[in-house]
Amino acid sequence: MRLLLLLLALSLTALAQEGPPPDLPPEVFRIARELRCPVCQGESAAESNSGVAVEMRRIIAEMLEEGKTEAEIKAFFVERYGDWILYEPPRQGVTLWVWVLPVAGLLVLGLGLFAYFRPRRPLPMELLEEAERRLKEPPA
Amino acid sequence: MKGWFWLLLVAFLAGLFWWGMQRNPRELPSVLAKERRPAPGFTLPLLPPYRAEWGEAFRLEDHLGKKPIVLNFWASWCYPACYEEAPVLEAAWRRHRERVLFLGVNTQDKEPEALRFIAQFGLTFPQVFDPRGRVGVDYGMYGVPETFFIDGEGRVYARHAGAIDEATLEKYLKEMLP
Repeated sequence: MRLLLLLLALSLTALAQEGPPPDLPPEVFRIARELRCPVCQGESAAESNSGVAVEMRRIIAEMLEEGKTEAEIKAFFVERYGDWILYEPPRQGVTLWVWVLPVAGLLVLGLGLFAYFRPRRPLPMELLEEAERRLKEPPA
Repeated sequence: MKGWFWLLLVAFLAGLFWWGMQRNPRELPSVLAKERRPAPGFTLPLLPPYRAEWGEAFRLEDHLGKKPIVLNFWASWCYPACYEEAPVLEAAWRRHRERVLFLGVNTQDKEPEALRFIAQFGLTFPQVFDPRGRVGVDYGMYGVPETFFIDGEGRVYARHAGAIDEATLEKYLKEMLP
C-alpha cells in the first residue's frame, strides 16, 4: 500500500513537471540542422538546447504536422530572420558569390599553375649551335 | 601587363580583407526594421499585476497605428543586461506614457520569477507572458534583451539588441514622435 502511494506521488510530481521537450520526429532535426540557432555561435537549431532553438524545433514539428513542406518551413524562418538563418546561403542574388568565388579561384589557380609549368618549346637549332660555339671560344 | 594583373589581384584581396575586418561580427540584421514591415500581431496573457488595468489578455493589434510602441523582450534569467535596462525603461515610460506605449514581453521565463523581477524594479508598464517565446520568433529576435520600436503607423521602425541606455532610447523616441 505504502509502495503504491509512493509510486502515485512520484508519478504525480512527474506529471507536474514541465518535462523535457516532446520527442520530435527525426525529420524535425533534419530541417533544424540547416537552420542557425539565433543565440548561439556556430550551432544549429538542432543541436542547441537554448530556449529559441527548442521553440524553433517545436514550430518545425507543428508546421510539419500541418502538412507544410521543408521549403515552406525554411521560408517561414527566412521571412523573420533573413537569409542569415540558413546555413547554406541561397544560390542566387548576392550570396551567389559565395558559391561562385571558390570555383573561380580554383580556376585562376589552375590557369596560373598551367602557365608556370607549361612545357617550353625547345630553342631553335641555330641558337644552340651559336651558344656551343661561343662557349668553346677562348675568352677575349 | 602581367605584373599589373597580379598587383591588382593582390590589391583587391587586401581591400576585401580590410573591409571584412571592419565589419562587426556581432551585428545582427533585423529584416522587420530594415524593410519597415508592419509589426507582427499577437495576443498574450497579461501578468497578474496588470490585469486590473489592461484586462486578461493583451492584443497588440488593438494598439497598433495609434501611438508609437516600445516593445521590450526580457527574462528574469537574463542577468545583467535585463537588470540594467529595466530602470531605464520604467523611467522613460513614466516620462512619455501619454504619447508612447511601452510593452514588456516576458520570454521563456517562469511566472514567479518574472513577478519577482517586476516587483524588484516596480515596473508599471504592461507586461505580457510568453513562456514559449513564440512571439520572439515572429519578431526575428535573437536573444533577450531586445527592444523593438514600432512607429505610429504600426510599422517596425528600429530594433535594438542588448541592454538599452537612456540616450539610445530617447534618440529613437524623438525620431518616431511627430
